[in-house]
Amino acid sequence: MDSISSEQNQNATKEFVSFIEERFGGTGITAEPVAHRSGKKFEFLRVLCPPKHWLGLAKWLCFERGVNHCSMITGVHYPENYQYGESQPAISPGNPEKGWEVTVHLMRMPVKNPPVGKAYVLRPSKLAPEEIPLEIEVNIYLPQTDTPEVDSVQSIWEGADWNEKETWDLVGIKFKNHDNMMRVLNPHDSPAGFHPLQKQHKIRYNDHFEMYDDPQGFGRKPIDVGKTK
Amino acid sequence: MAQMWITMGPQHPMTHGLWTLRVKVDGETVVDTDPELGFIHRGVEKICEARNYTQITPYCDRLCYASAMTWAQSYVYAAENLLDAEVPERAEYIRLIAVEMQRVASHLMWLGAYCPDVGNLTVFVYCIRDREMFLDLLQELGGSRMHYNYPRIGGVKRDLPMGFAARARAKIELFLQRMKEYEMFLDESTIFLVRTQGVGYCTAEDMVNAGVTGPNLRAGGVNYDVRWAHPYSVYDQVDWTASVEKPTSVKGADCYDRYRVRMTEMIESCRMILDALDKIPGGAETHYEKEDPMIYKKAPIRAPEGTTGFHHFEDSRGESMFYLVGGGGKKGRGEYPYRISIRSPMFITIPFVAKTMIGYKVADIPAIMGSFDPCIGETDR
Repeated sequence: MDSISSEQNQNATKEFVSFIEERFGGTGITAEPVAHRSGKKFEFLRVLCPPKHWLGLAKWLCFERGVNHCSMITGVHYPENYQYGESQPAISPGNPEKGWEVTVHLMRMPVKNPPVGKAYVLRPSKLAPEEIPLEIEVNIYLPQTDTPEVDSVQSIWEGADWNEKETWDLVGIKFKNHDNMMRVLNPHDSPAGFHPLQKQHKIRYNDHFEMYDDPQGFGRKPIDVGKTK
Repeated sequence: MAQMWITMGPQHPMTHGLWTLRVKVDGETVVDTDPELGFIHRGVEKICEARNYTQITPYCDRLCYASAMTWAQSYVYAAENLLDAEVPERAEYIRLIAVEMQRVASHLMWLGAYCPDVGNLTVFVYCIRDREMFLDLLQELGGSRMHYNYPRIGGVKRDLPMGFAARARAKIELFLQRMKEYEMFLDESTIFLVRTQGVGYCTAEDMVNAGVTGPNLRAGGVNYDVRWAHPYSVYDQVDWTASVEKPTSVKGADCYDRYRVRMTEMIESCRMILDALDKIPGGAETHYEKEDPMIYKKAPIRAPEGTTGFHHFEDSRGESMFYLVGGGGKKGRGEYPYRISIRSPMFITIPFVAKTMIGYKVADIPAIMGSFDPCIGETDR
């Protein structure tokens, strides 16, 4: 079957970058086409968005530019003094502007309701420029804080609802104005403030960090180390 | 009449896994629903933060017990984007053959599980019989029946075994004949038609806004498929068309449309496998040694801090995606991912389906839920 060609993809991303620059130039929102490093090396759009503009950008993308699919919302924790195991240096030492990252993957899909009894069959080589499927990655950096917050886009894409619930549940990023926020993967009675993908929670094996370093536990220290004379 | 909440699951047969659907009913009519997930949450994303990139593949196999190959490949493509790896063309063809076989096996598992839901137990037995043929073929590749650990970052574990192509062709030919039996069983069964037609309507635009993709979206009348929209592998070189259904109502696709689209998708997958076996570089009957440059190219094992990689993949249930952030591991050497995030199509679909079934009768819940092909292993991760 024929598929989207590399030129179509490049033209679509280039066009979209100019749209964003035209609409959001000077607000701190930047966009650039980035190529995947493997496979067919197609381009996607990487957008850097300050948290205060996220809701406006999302509305514009969805309602004016036809970005109709919210694929994934996820969060990453970059603590100031991240240490993996014992005496490891920090991974992002002291970047005050990047304590948390919310990454949103959006897609533009040429999907319309077909007429009754008919199918809306898309032919990749005959798609109009504004219909070409597009991958968009939005990065939102949040400063170092104990209470990271970003606007919810639940009202724009219905699919964002449970993605945001999961991100709050696992990473602990709060989504402002999210209706019905709750635990989805952790037990409902998990203690408040427990978000297992934050980096202060280490993967441990009987108090020994990184079980693969010492699967048998020979290097394990007794529980009362440092407490006995 | 008084309204009340009833709980379906976690042991109800409708769930096809381990989750709970709380339903508010007014007599026999569903007026509100509340899905509850997370019963088998294993923390795969956290575990993978202390595994290197090769060690993660078997964990991804175990995300979905019905469709392990697609999940492992979904991860491997994302890891290749992160690590900047190249894949030989023959390996891409082998991956395509493997993943399409897995898609057929997964859809057969769905059909086998769905038909008892709507009152046709016989088909279950036949589906499992035919699924066995594809599992045997996959076992020849990966060495086990369910969790293959077959794709590698930069290629595949082993080449096609001797005689694989002949056996695959014979089995697919037999299966394509049996597809007609299934259609006779189901399309002419009044019980099946009464249970599936006219229930569970949803339109394509609603689905895409709610994040529902894959066969469920194609049943709504749009042939959108990640395999041509964001092409990967060698799908542009083999002969296939994205299957699509023609909904007969303004309200969109019903359960019957979703059944039909999966049936045509199985036939398309078989066509793809047959075509790939003909076109594979080096010939399908040649067997290359392990780690031969035809099937495997060594890939970097470390990703520095600040690199990311993701890949949209057409899973048998919709669009799956892995998002990887490099630079984890000891002393920042980058042999582990710093963060790995999984997009499960069913995690997004199940809340949407729960909303879809509002307004239908309690007896329609299994028919609607089953038609979306829920898999809880990937949902809860």
